Amino acid sequence: MKENSLWKDAFRRLVTDKFALGSLLIVLTYAIVALLAASGLIAADWAKEVGGSNLPPSTEHWFGTDIFGRDVLAKLIRGTQIAMSVGLVTSLIAIPIGVILGALAGYFGGWVDDVITWLYTTFSSIPNIMLLISITMILGKGIFAVYIALGATSWVTLCRLIRGEVMKHKEREYVQAAEAIGGGHFRKLFIHILPNVTHIVIINTSLQFQFAIKSEVILSYLGLGVQGEPSWGTMIDDAKLELSRGVWWQLAGATLAMFVVVLAFNLLGDALRDSLDPKLKGK
Amino acid sequence: MTSPLLSVKNLVVEFQTGEGITRAVNNISFDIPAGKTIGIVGESGSGKSVTSLAVMGLLQRPAARIPQGEVFFNGQDLLKFDESQMREIRGNQISMIFQEPMTSLNPVFKVADQIAETIRIHKSVSKKEAWDRAVDLMNQVGIPNPAQSAHKYPHEMSGGQKQRVMIAMAIACEPKLLIADEPTTALDVTIQKQVLDLLHKLQQQYQMSMMFITHDLGVIGDIADDVVVMYRSNVVEKNNADEIFTTAKHPYTKGLLACRPKLGANPRRLLTVSDFMDENGVEKHISAERVVVFDKEQEKEKSSDILLEVKNLVTHFPIKGGLFGRTVDHFRAVNDVSFTLKKGKTLGLVGESGCGKTTLGRSILRLVEPGSGSISYGGKDITHIYAEELRLLRRKMQIIFQDPYSSLNPRMTISEILTEPLNIHGVGNSRAERLSMAKELFEKVGLKASQLNRYPHEFSGGQRQRISIARALMLRPEFVVCDESVSALDVSIQAQVLNLLLDLQEEFHLTYIFISHDLSVVNFIADEVGVMNGGKIIEMDKANNIYKNPKEAYTRALLSAIPKGITKANLSALL
Repeated sequence: MKENSLWKDAFRRLVTDKFALGSLLIVLTYAIVALLAASGLIAADWAKEVGGSNLPPSTEHWFGTDIFGRDVLAKLIRGTQIAMSVGLVTSLIAIPIGVILGALAGYFGGWVDDVITWLYTTFSSIPNIMLLISITMILGKGIFAVYIALGATSWVTLCRLIRGEVMKHKEREYVQAAEAIGGGHFRKLFIHILPNVTHIVIINTSLQFQFAIKSEVILSYLGLGVQGEPSWGTMIDDAKLELSRGVWWQLAGATLAMFVVVLAFNLLGDALRDSLDPKLKGK
Repeated sequence: MTSPLLSVKNLVVEFQTGEGITRAVNNISFDIPAGKTIGIVGESGSGKSVTSLAVMGLLQRPAARIPQGEVFFNGQDLLKFDESQMREIRGNQISMIFQEPMTSLNPVFKVADQIAETIRIHKSVSKKEAWDRAVDLMNQVGIPNPAQSAHKYPHEMSGGQKQRVMIAMAIACEPKLLIADEPTTALDVTIQKQVLDLLHKLQQQYQMSMMFITHDLGVIGDIADDVVVMYRSNVVEKNNADEIFTTAKHPYTKGLLACRPKLGANPRRLLTVSDFMDENGVEKHISAERVVVFDKEQEKEKSSDILLEVKNLVTHFPIKGGLFGRTVDHFRAVNDVSFTLKKGKTLGLVGESGCGKTTLGRSILRLVEPGSGSISYGGKDITHIYAEELRLLRRKMQIIFQDPYSSLNPRMTISEILTEPLNIHGVGNSRAERLSMAKELFEKVGLKASQLNRYPHEFSGGQRQRISIARALMLRPEFVVCDESVSALDVSIQAQVLNLLLDLQEEFHLTYIFISHDLSVVNFIADEVGVMNGGKIIEMDKANNIYKNPKEAYTRALLSAIPKGITKANLSALL
């Protein structure tokens, strides 16, 4: 006799999908690289001069060296650490805000809903990149400002999705049943409804993650992001001047690193939606 | 002798699932002669719908496959047709009506456009001609003001009207064969009767053949010429309708006939299929005491204590309108209702959807806030008590919902669902004690304790309803509202659940309010019956009196809508 929760079923469906499994492995690889870099085990000496200026890719330096003779691969690894940390920290900021506001708005309705809806429509009416730039302007340049700027702008989509889903679920009979056995608002909302909408959080996070990574690259490219450390955005910015001299490897490395992880997150997001969203299931 | 219109020979349908191959239809054969109606009867999962999908060529590939069998339609084997040939047949020569009228219509198109679309796919007619034909069809299926109604969108129509539109779509191209898959299961009994009459009339008018699929043998008596009974993927009995209703041979058929409560006298507990045969389909001898007719009137009054007293209760919902969504008026869902209910008794509330019976049940439990009037429970006025007091009261008053699919939280295991009420109210000293209480009740409702760690989606509809009942009884309440608790179940399962509710009532001395649209069910289970219409109780009396001497015309209409379980021919012979 097997006892299957919906989560286990979903996980089984996910790993039988080859694209999803591949994407998951890529994402995990990036995460491990980022962790190793953060703990100083790899690419700690990225700033060291390892050879001549602008050496093309070789077996010794897979992505060549930059203008100061630094290893591009080491810089890419540091960039991975920055990118993944931006994705993670912005998610940690955006998810609680989005989930809690969305759940409260959807569950209580009335003036609570009015206030929260007003808040997120106001946020989403300002062009995203303008808001990002103005927040980094206020907080000053640097990675911290990027975290705050992205975290403060990316909860809106999640909030809207959660609100709609909670509104749908609160009318279900199992929620009324919870009320009939004497459960209060807290129990109905957090014990009964929220576990039934968490799939949205997971799907949204995987798409959110790649959006944050792209945004960090754009901000850094514009000179508003990380300072004094290599990021994929600053590497692309550096490389644009070198390209005319035939130095393509720094640009290629940064673009490739970003392309692979963004694609993996997108595919993973789609696969998660297929396996977790009950609406798309056969029955 | 002419050859039949549709002839299914030795059909086998198999499904590839995660656990291997399941045989959904096992070597079945039957014929549908031209101009006749064949009823296919069986419980959910017996393979009756799969059979109809196989005929229509609508089985999900590649999960389903047909390793054996032939389906002859007008002498041609449909199973050998390719997709484009099948499209020619579907909607044109064979058409289908589905169970759920709420979801079978596209919400963004006008209803007449949807009927016209079917016509234009198969016939080269202009848009205008198709529209006119659609309006004509809507007139034929009895939709009032067809010319105006044609412009309506599905959400502007009632469930019965939507089903009529579905029927209009199905007959638009004057098909030779109409497949009706549980067309009345989602409808109230009164609407069911109208739809059955309509189908019968159209079948005669167009000289169609009809394949009528249902779980309720009683429904088929009104409409079918021949009946095919399916049980666990097999055909167990085939005969003409008269023979089936008078001299059924297979124990399963006998069980199906017996399990629907009769309006008059019933045994103390309804007979179920399991009274007629054992697990392996071997016929059993029915003990004499099971069939003794039981008269509720004879039973002595056990107590005269009044448990619940409702006085002039009104519950209204605001109607929002205007630019800023202000409340412009109130809709009185429950309008001035009064009654008393004695301990250990059952009050049945019966009426069509929208009559306010569900709102009344929920107002009594304070799941919906009542507007005015008073509710007193055990002598105490509970109309306005506050949250904490109400929470304590919830231990004594419980509700069992209609839909066994949405009333259980899909992310919780059964043991979590059952122990939750105990946790909330701090009953039991330890987790182990609470679990053993859950286990005890879980077994009492007829399920195996080894299944406690499973999730709701692993159970069938009838089992889920038993779980809902167990949850409602975990706190040992005195009073339970059963809100259409058996309406979503097959008749054979319905009988089991009704018996269970009666057993539990006896054991735990429960008081019930039993809400249903089906007067025969209410009549069986309730001591007293209140007939509701337009938010009011229009007639209230002892259960037996209601069907013997109905006073209101509305009550008589409800009574006449109940499927009699005998064929038209026999019925007219009796009169």
